[in-house]
Amino acid sequence: MTASLSAATLGIVLVALGFGALLLRRSLIWKLLGLNVASGGAILFLVALSHRPGARPPLMGYPEGVPSADPLPQALVLTAIVIHFATLALSLAYAISLTERLHTQETGRLEEAAEEEMER
Amino acid sequence: MTAVLLSVLALTLAAVALTRRRLLWGIAVLGVHSLVLAGLYFSLAAPDVALTEAAIGFGLVTFVYLLSIRRTGRIVVAAVECPGLLYPEGEGAVGLLWELLRELSTRTHRELELRWVERDEVQALLSTSEADLAAGDLIPSAAEAHFPEVEFLPTRIVRARLGPGPLGALRGSREAELLPKGGRLFPHRGALLSALERGELGGVVVNLLELRTMYLGGKLREAEVEPLEDTSFSVLFAPDEEELARTLEEVVAELRERGEWDDLVRRYL
Amino acid sequence: MRIAAVVGVLALLVGILLVGAFGLFPLGDSPDWEKLARAYGAENGVAAVVLGTRLYDTLLEVMVFALAMVGVRYTLTPLSRWKEPVVPERGVVREMADLLLPVVIVFSLYLAASGHLGPGGGFPAGAIAGSGLLLLAMAKGIERLSRELHEGTLELLEYGAIGGLLVLGVASGLFGVRGSGLLVLFNLLIGIEVTVGTWVVLHYFGSHRGEI
Repeated sequence: MTASLSAATLGIVLVALGFGALLLRRSLIWKLLGLNVASGGAILFLVALSHRPGARPPLMGYPEGVPSADPLPQALVLTAIVIHFATLALSLAYAISLTERLHTQETGRLEEAAEEEMER
Repeated sequence: MTAVLLSVLALTLAAVALTRRRLLWGIAVLGVHSLVLAGLYFSLAAPDVALTEAAIGFGLVTFVYLLSIRRTGRIVVAAVECPGLLYPEGEGAVGLLWELLRELSTRTHRELELRWVERDEVQALLSTSEADLAAGDLIPSAAEAHFPEVEFLPTRIVRARLGPGPLGALRGSREAELLPKGGRLFPHRGALLSALERGELGGVVVNLLELRTMYLGGKLREAEVEPLEDTSFSVLFAPDEEELARTLEEVVAELRERGEWDDLVRRYL
Repeated sequence: MRIAAVVGVLALLVGILLVGAFGLFPLGDSPDWEKLARAYGAENGVAAVVLGTRLYDTLLEVMVFALAMVGVRYTLTPLSRWKEPVVPERGVVREMADLLLPVVIVFSLYLAASGHLGPGGGFPAGAIAGSGLLLLAMAKGIERLSRELHEGTLELLEYGAIGGLLVLGVASGLFGVRGSGLLVLFNLLIGIEVTVGTWVVLHYFGSHRGEI
């Protein structure tokens, strides 16, 4: 019980931490790092939900009667990690191309630069 | 038990990673955080997730971040305050050097991050690569001669004497090395000026720009000025930033070629 | 002011999530997934869910992955390339690459082929094979490796893997085919897709940076 409960709490705290960084940091890459932490927290929360006290992994070949972890949340999370990598690569590509065009990564200045470009 | 310990570790690492100033450190610590998370998944009976997290979250994500920051990373500038060259204004600065640094930032696609420091901190910051370059009221001292440098503005170090008493200079600067015996060193310009005000000093060893600022500030009006050394203001770079130094040299050369350099010097000095 | 507002919002978020989370505990009994897994020919519950009951979910997520890679290509192609010559790494890395690459490739193949029996599967297998390519790129220089790998072949492989996955998925659903062999095939195709996608990311990010 304590293992999954502490992990679930940590997951929630990580989501809050990452979200805080997402709001407070002004640079694009730092925001993405915050999002990274938040995503890790969400994944951890789901994994903690799948766990039961004294559980074994959802694999066969264990003795009868041992409770097993729930495979469904784990399966959902598995693809989430991969998709996170793909979307992260895409957003970093966007960040690079924005930096290339507007010469800044700070969100405030990015908005200004974008407005200037629109006027032109 | 393992899960609780790993949880605490993961939380600490995430907090450390997100509060770093340098992006590189943040990314590195976050990679370790990912690895700890993988261990946590394993201890929560999810070996599939742990394997995927270790391969992707720890390996690939960290690597993609590292590849992209070279293109978007910052130039950390150790800035020594100097009116006319580099002086804080809002989040940025004004001055001749600020124009140069902005051009450098545009050309390398790297953002500037200014850190206002005292003169005697420069050497440590550069040698640990904590700052990529140092600029401002900066004439390289003998101890700093091994850093790559770009000289951009000739100046002169002078001795300005008001009366009897010891001479003063800024600690860590070239001026301090030219100070005659018995001179006093000060950590920053404010301390130097207030000592001068209180009459503890008989004069100062400064460069021409500072002399002008002090003169305009009403001090040193009756001083007797004597030149000590002809030298020039420089931008100093961390040992591994020679490429950046070359780029700045190109910037200065191009500005001179286009004839904009003299306008800039006239506008700020 | 700004910080106070953010902290307040986050505290509220944590509160709501914690209340919700404690509502989910204590958990129920462990679910009976073994019968289901056997029906799909798997011994790993996660593989049975990923490639069995939620197969279409997985297939579409692979498509999202491929789409993101197309986005990376499209976004980074117009940017200027690094002009500096690529300096190959020192001898140590090259020797280690020679030594490690076969191990890495075999391990990733093993993960893909045994994903339905134990921990593994196509996703980590692809990521590990991609890391192997990264190692090779470090030893050889990224431009040279990308010339040797041929962009066209890789694209064929990528779209072939997606097409194969979709056809297999739909056909197995229509005709009610199940079994371990099908799962191995799925895992291998997913592995190929993820490997190529990883290489695309590394190649495009790397070649617009100059070196790895």
